[in-house]
Amino acid sequence: MSEQRPSDRALQLPAPLVWLDRWLGRAEALILGGGVLLMALNTVANVVGRFLFQYSFFFTEEVNRILIVMITFAGVGYAARHGRHIRMSALFDTLPLTGRRWLMAFIALGTALVMFALTWFSLRYIGSVADSGRVLPALQIPVWWIFVWVPLGLAVTGIQYLMTVFKNLAGHDVYLSTQVKDGYDDR
Amino acid sequence: MTALMVGTMIVLLLLGFPMMVTLIVAAFIGFLAMFGGVDQMDFMIQQFMAGIRPASLVAVPMFILAADIMTRGHSADRLIEMVMKFIGHVRGGLAISTATACTLFGAVSGSTQATVVAVGSPLRPKMLKAGYKDSFVLALIINASDIAFLIPPSIGMIIYGVVSNTSISELFIAGVGPGFLILGMFALYSYVYARIHQVPTEARASWPERWRAVRRAIWPLGFPVIIVGGIYGGVFSPTEAAAVCVLYAVILEFIVFRALKPVDLYTIAKSTGLITAVVFILVAAGAAFSWIISFAQIPQAILASLGLAEAGPTGVLIAISVAFFIGCMFVDPIVVILVLVPIFAPVVESAGLDPVLVGVLITLQVAIGSATPPFGCDIFTAIAIFRRPYMEVIRGTPPFVLMLILAAVLLIMFPQIALFLRDLAFA
Amino acid sequence: ATWRYAFEEALTDVQGVYASKFKEHIEANSDHTVQLFPYGTLGESADIMEQAQAGLLQFVDQSPGFTGSLIPEAQIFFIPYLLPETHDGLEYFFRNSKAINEAFKSIYAQHGLELLKMFPEGEVVITTQEAFDSPAGLDGVKIRVMTNPLLVESYKAFGATPTPLPWGEVYGGLQTNIIQGQENPLFWVESAKMYEVTDVMTFTGHNNFTTAVMANKRFFDRLPEQDQQLVQDAMQAAFDHIMVYQKGLSERSLEKILEQKPDMKIVRLTEEQRQPFRAAAEEVEAKFIEMTGDPGRQLLQQFKQDLNAAKAQ
Ligand code: NA
Ligand code: NA
Repeated sequence: MSEQRPSDRALQLPAPLVWLDRWLGRAEALILGGGVLLMALNTVANVVGRFLFQYSFFFTEEVNRILIVMITFAGVGYAARHGRHIRMSALFDTLPLTGRRWLMAFIALGTALVMFALTWFSLRYIGSVADSGRVLPALQIPVWWIFVWVPLGLAVTGIQYLMTVFKNLAGHDVYLSTQVKDGYDDR
Repeated sequence: MTALMVGTMIVLLLLGFPMMVTLIVAAFIGFLAMFGGVDQMDFMIQQFMAGIRPASLVAVPMFILAADIMTRGHSADRLIEMVMKFIGHVRGGLAISTATACTLFGAVSGSTQATVVAVGSPLRPKMLKAGYKDSFVLALIINASDIAFLIPPSIGMIIYGVVSNTSISELFIAGVGPGFLILGMFALYSYVYARIHQVPTEARASWPERWRAVRRAIWPLGFPVIIVGGIYGGVFSPTEAAAVCVLYAVILEFIVFRALKPVDLYTIAKSTGLITAVVFILVAAGAAFSWIISFAQIPQAILASLGLAEAGPTGVLIAISVAFFIGCMFVDPIVVILVLVPIFAPVVESAGLDPVLVGVLITLQVAIGSATPPFGCDIFTAIAIFRRPYMEVIRGTPPFVLMLILAAVLLIMFPQIALFLRDLAFA
Repeated sequence: ATWRYAFEEALTDVQGVYASKFKEHIEANSDHTVQLFPYGTLGESADIMEQAQAGLLQFVDQSPGFTGSLIPEAQIFFIPYLLPETHDGLEYFFRNSKAINEAFKSIYAQHGLELLKMFPEGEVVITTQEAFDSPAGLDGVKIRVMTNPLLVESYKAFGATPTPLPWGEVYGGLQTNIIQGQENPLFWVESAKMYEVTDVMTFTGHNNFTTAVMANKRFFDRLPEQDQQLVQDAMQAAFDHIMVYQKGLSERSLEKILEQKPDMKIVRLTEEQRQPFRAAAEEVEAKFIEMTGDPGRQLLQQFKQDLNAAKAQ
């Protein structure tokens, strides 16, 4: 992953926000990596349990379901931060630099708005699931708990794209995200 | 409404919006048209959750993780080196091996996305190094992985069998013939491609060299044993086999080979999580899009206007192929099967068609649809894992799609391609 | 108006036949149209339930077993050997039971649903690789069950190793021996081809799969009286139809299975052989009461009263 250069940071936000942003990025990474490892551990434990003790954990499936939601929505923000969301850039790439900068600002703005709208819908949805009192059949915990990552991840993604708007308007380069410049040569 | 949804999607796509946004906005439009406001939009989120709910999806991150560990460590290199010692001197040999590996891995694992990652990530660099063009390599990996839909166990066939009340065993057997026919086509194309593009071959290896390579690969050969033996032998479900592969990869690379350090595991898990998220958010958004299409009964409306009742058996087969082809271009294949199969059921019956043949043809269309632009889960996976632009990933696709369409035409003309094994087994 | 009706099975299965009859009656007797949404086209059970509660769907067919996470009392239908084991007893029970026609109605109403009808879908059978006639015969046999604590409890009490597995993995799991058995109503064993991957089908008489049709309550309450009556009439017509349809269904399913697989072994446990399984029911009842408390205890009492009335029939 390409890290920020100091000159980029100057264009960015006030220090406390930069600090907050950096920690947020680390938290997302931790949730992603930790989530994947937990999923592996959980699934392997079930296999081992079945072989050695003739016992299937009836919660394995539900724990994995929780982890998938967590990984997906923590990852949406993390992917936005690193400019990794899939898009078709064939026409975009033919535009001159200024055109691409403005178009990217527009795309990031549109994406941010969509993310904020979804955040709102997901909060409402969680509310209704919480009201219904549904519980996970095996773990017997409220179903809405497994959805809390959804609005968090969507809101963080929206903020990432909003910052990308400013980044493109303020700078002289095209930014796919707050940290990544356009181009696929960032490996 | 349909036109507006598809139109908006294409415009946003061309402008360069993230793919998830194009799907979500198209679904927004559908919700607005159906409910006249934003009150019911919560159900987009419900469908997001439904999209990433299937327990079998867990196999995807698990195989990505195992493949990444193997590729960064020694296992993948040693396996490939062994294969190359045997087929390196054959023109197009590497491409043919890649296609075969994708087909078999996909068949067994049940996940075409996992296949793109697990087979694609170690083999793509070798193919590039050997002189194949990237667009060819990517298209080969994506399309060969999708043959797996036709080879048991196939979730698409199970669902078709339940919805249409057709024997799943017969479907499984009937899929094998067309599956290998397509693999044969791809192999032939690989050979022709390698000839035309003068892809160099390696010198033929001696038997002692081969033997040495096999010995070096003896530990990593445990992977095919876990996957093939474990799943067909009834030891694991595909998801569990994936997790056991992770465990085995960790043991090999961290303990036996000492190729990686513990901190690498965290880095690899992080990148696995990232790829998973990028693909799964599209699965989620795709589910919301599919839901509104299904709720508005759009397929029913379109098909009602076609007047299929008068078409003969061949006409019905062609109509089914076209409908599923188009459906799978935009909508999740499983949903397409669930929605369209009952709609076609009466015409299939009145045309006196063999439901097994229809099932195989539909599964073939599902395979084509998952690999064809604009929307295909395996395309997304390839973009996420290989980090190449969308256009580059799909550039090499047309010859493969043509071959798949040819296979569909052959299947309609000569149903025995699918049915002879079935008739042999169930006569 | 256009009414939307979703259910958990294919159009040709029991719930689909019921829904089609309902649609037929409504459309023949009014200007309303009914759109049917079979299994999976709008999501899984929990999804279509939420859609019905929110009023996107006007009607929904959901089996109480799936409703368990929303309405714990609905799991009462998983208690083995609670329902009558004969067709006539069942029919009388479902038509006259206070528990079903009154108690459950108010329970569902609390969740924004108008309970319209409950009906049986067919006897639950166990299909396995090896024959068994006692709990000892199930020792170490992994039987797939839905992810539901009460079902897990039942199969433990039956002596088996209950293995919760998502439905999509059942066929493959049986084929590859990850599990060695599963339970489902007879017609489903036929339509989902479970007989292709198991060799023995055992009638234990421990349950009859029950399902419930509901309407969104707000929608239903706001309907003009004549439309409410129309809906009730259509439900009654569908219920009458399904009870007749049911009568021959088990035999038809069994015939079809034997036609496809003549060497499928069919075992009917005798009354004597059922005794140890019946004894297991007590443990499950205790678990049910533990999970649902006093409301569950009362419901179970009412259930048993209704059952005695049905048996007296
Ligand atoms: Na397969
Ligand atoms: Na596609």
